[in-house]
Amino acid sequence: MAPTYNIAMISDFFYPQPGGVESHIYQLSTKLIDRGHKVIVITHAYEGRTGVRYLTNGLKVYHVPFLVIFRSATFPTVFSFFPIFRNIIIRERINIVHGHASLSNFCHEAILHARTMGLRTVFTDHSLFGFADAASILTNKLLKFTLSDVDHVICVSHTCKENTVLRASLDPLMVSVIPNAVVAENFKPLTHTSSSGSNHTFSSPPQHSQPHFPPARPLGPHDIVTIVVISRLFYNKGTDLLTAAIPRILENHPNTRFIIAGDGPKAIDLEQMIEQNVLQDRVEMLGPIRHEEVRDVMVRGHIYLHPSLTEAFGTVIVEAASCGLYVVCTQVGGIPEVLPNHMTVFAKPEEDDLVAATGRAIAALRANKVRTENFHEQVKKMYSWTNVAIRTERVYNGISGAISEAEFYGYDENTTTNTWSAATRGRSGVQSFALIDRLKRYYGCGIWAGKLFCLCVIVDYLLFLLLELWFPRDKIDICSDWPRKKPQLTNGKGEKKKKEKEEYIL
Amino acid sequence: MAPPSGLHQSAIPSDFETPFPALVRSSTVPASLQSHRADPSHLAPEDAYTPLSPPRQQSGIFDSRGNGSGTDTRPRRLRRNNLSRSRSRRRKRFQKLLWVNQSYPDNYTDQATFLENLQRNPRVQPYDFWPLVADSTVILQHVCSVIIFIVCFVGIFQERVSPVSVVGWGSFATFLGWLLWDFWVSQEDQGGAGESGDRVRSIRGGRIFREYRPPRRQDSNSGPSQPLLATNISTASISSTSNLPSAASSTTNLLQEQPLHRPNPSSHPHSSTPSGSLLTPGHSHSRSVSSIHSVTSQTSANSPTSTTRLGPDDAEYAANGRAYLRVSTIKSAILIYFTLLGLSPILKSLTRSTSSDSIWAMSFWLLTINIFFFDYSGGWVGSHKKMPVAPLSTNAALMASTVLASRLPSTGQVFSLTLFSIEVFGLFPVFRQYARHRSWRYHVVLTVLLVLGAGGGVGMILGDGNGWPWKRGLAGMVVGCLLSALAMGGCSWWLIGLQKYKNEIYGPWDPARPIIISRRHWDDD
Repeated sequence: MAPTYNIAMISDFFYPQPGGVESHIYQLSTKLIDRGHKVIVITHAYEGRTGVRYLTNGLKVYHVPFLVIFRSATFPTVFSFFPIFRNIIIRERINIVHGHASLSNFCHEAILHARTMGLRTVFTDHSLFGFADAASILTNKLLKFTLSDVDHVICVSHTCKENTVLRASLDPLMVSVIPNAVVAENFKPLTHTSSSGSNHTFSSPPQHSQPHFPPARPLGPHDIVTIVVISRLFYNKGTDLLTAAIPRILENHPNTRFIIAGDGPKAIDLEQMIEQNVLQDRVEMLGPIRHEEVRDVMVRGHIYLHPSLTEAFGTVIVEAASCGLYVVCTQVGGIPEVLPNHMTVFAKPEEDDLVAATGRAIAALRANKVRTENFHEQVKKMYSWTNVAIRTERVYNGISGAISEAEFYGYDENTTTNTWSAATRGRSGVQSFALIDRLKRYYGCGIWAGKLFCLCVIVDYLLFLLLELWFPRDKIDICSDWPRKKPQLTNGKGEKKKKEKEEYIL
Repeated sequence: MAPPSGLHQSAIPSDFETPFPALVRSSTVPASLQSHRADPSHLAPEDAYTPLSPPRQQSGIFDSRGNGSGTDTRPRRLRRNNLSRSRSRRRKRFQKLLWVNQSYPDNYTDQATFLENLQRNPRVQPYDFWPLVADSTVILQHVCSVIIFIVCFVGIFQERVSPVSVVGWGSFATFLGWLLWDFWVSQEDQGGAGESGDRVRSIRGGRIFREYRPPRRQDSNSGPSQPLLATNISTASISSTSNLPSAASSTTNLLQEQPLHRPNPSSHPHSSTPSGSLLTPGHSHSRSVSSIHSVTSQTSANSPTSTTRLGPDDAEYAANGRAYLRVSTIKSAILIYFTLLGLSPILKSLTRSTSSDSIWAMSFWLLTINIFFFDYSGGWVGSHKKMPVAPLSTNAALMASTVLASRLPSTGQVFSLTLFSIEVFGLFPVFRQYARHRSWRYHVVLTVLLVLGAGGGVGMILGDGNGWPWKRGLAGMVVGCLLSALAMGGCSWWLIGLQKYKNEIYGPWDPARPIIISRRHWDDD
């Protein structure tokens, strides 16, 4: 029987706000619950969403009232979250605090307080940051502060890992790469649904889309190729590139058309481009769409164009591939790691190259060289939230000592000249909670910053002692748990089978 | 309790064919612990936190980003097909890919590929000493002119210098500068007529002018700009002398003195192009005109042909335009003169209730702001990297002069100082910029004159009044020259010395810079 944990997922970003981090937290939590853990989510109160809520699968969400300053990130007060945080943690008997997203102040505070309270912490980084501009420098310093004493960090791609390691000066072994995933059932291609006849959860596509349905494959030389773009229309999503490329693509390829979904400040540029080049009948702008509708828009096209300038993972291209679209994307950030080559055409983030790459993709589709109908099954095998949950569970096991340090961090225990980790790690690869050890870790953050951080940690610790006196632990009610699920047996069998295999091979 | 190895395996469910590799310390531990590194040309994980920089070499063997996952998966797949039958025990190579299930733990850090795309200081241009010194003269010039202004104020305040002589000489110099300017402009029109001409001249004239003027069709100001300019003139005359320090429009409009004198396109439709480009240095200071810019640049970009055409008719028109221009310059100068004259009594009593100390402190900070936010770029006409804070600089200077002037006891002094400040902070920078653009020699001569003037002035002011002011002035000049040479050389040397601390990190996580050729729609925002 594998150990189970009580896990608190903490982030500023959670439902009802839509987004990548939000769905990541939800999906991961659900799958962890399926594996027998107890998971709660702590986020700030959204409008119309306060108090404690239960979501599907017994996922409990605490919406803590807090001042929101910018794009639903809370105001960075270093200590004010502590009392209520401690209360929740004790009520729910949490062992592991798992924070998400580096712009989330809640997550940083929670990691600090959790370490003070003697809990294991994990941080998941979802985004990439540069090193040059002032905002990044500030964020990076803050991240360094928080991550000085974190037990483990999870990044969504290898590029993201490199970035986080550099930003927070982490030991690369402390950083795991666990990608995002998609719920493949929600992103089935049209042909797939009709053949299998499974009931997908989406409403039928909008009426006006009927004439645009892709014709039965294979694609003839004069059939219309539809290129789909779904992104928020911001500068860093490459909308400028898109605006420049669309007229040229449409000029080079007569039987093509574009569907653009999403909204943002750059939408005006796109509209201007459409009007200047009189492309109203070939470029359809749908405006903002809900996440549930993404699939319905995607299945109307053949090619998904993703001109983003920076991307940690790029879930949307996986979704597109899962819908059976051929993906044209810029080679930035973590994108090249995400999909195999036969599903994608890569372009440099240049107008010319994007046009050329789209041209190649259209040509390949017209020549029927791309087996897009197999994409869905392949993506389904590559990415699943269950897999993500299993891998995250291994991280939990590693930091809480359920698997040995040697195994988790991969050293040879016999030859331990442990000078390197002696300062930071205690028993079995686990970071010690002793205040002096923690201070040592924080002190290294910088000449001034290190001292400041140490001061913060000491204040935090004093605050903790004060809270222990003021609100004693035994006065806090322990809440009753949602009935836990038994971990699926299939997995255990799989493990056994694999083990046999391993023995056989050895 | 599941056996730990089983957990490992469950993390990678589909990887049955290769045995789970025994992780040894050497495979994952940071190389700092190892006595030798596998490959010195690769960045190792510990490079993330050690400042030493190994030579960056792009590994030709395995480039997981450069040409995508394709080039390395395909050959490998072939190879695996050959080998998979024989159930090779060899460990598969780690790939920086997320879609393959690899037989490595999630926190595996590959020595060969980790941070392989990290670039350090890829775009650093090493500075050379002398060009750096040459470039720093621009700052020196500005600092010197500020010092000269302060010296003049102190002189007036201590009643050593007659305010009339200050403003008289200042106006005389301004007039001379204007004449010179006008001469240059006409010369340029006759000689160059096109941008090729003045490009040649600027190449000949100054080696350090890296920024040539952008195509002049950028500021072919036709139709729509004119009414706006007219309103500018009117607002300038009214608001330029208002003593509200925060009135941004007032000071920016003061700077319009040159741009104001555009030829009237209604009477000379073609003349706008040749002279317009020369008369727009104020653009960098003015929001109102730059907004016109944005209006016109769209139209002009669409019709570039209209700008290249320049026949004999146009030359005539241009001459006409210049005459018109001169007249309107004189007109607005007179306007400003009288407005200032009228406002001086009000200015005089502006800060009567404020103590002098606060005024000194305030003007110090304002002049500091002026020096720090001044547009040193020399960004010439229609330059795209306009400093958005350039108006702030001028506003700060004029506000400083206003509060300083309000300390003075008589109306005549107030008037003189304010007029002088407009000349020094509003018009002189434009002239300096143009002189630099024109010829390197003028620039040097101007710099030397300014340094001498500032040094001599400070020397005379610091004296106690009796004795030999000229001697002190001379000493001040010498000290000023020495100091400026020392400062320029020292700062340049220091800057070059500081370059070794430069550590810019670039990698795939940075937002890509899109290369867009057909920039049309978002150019003007």
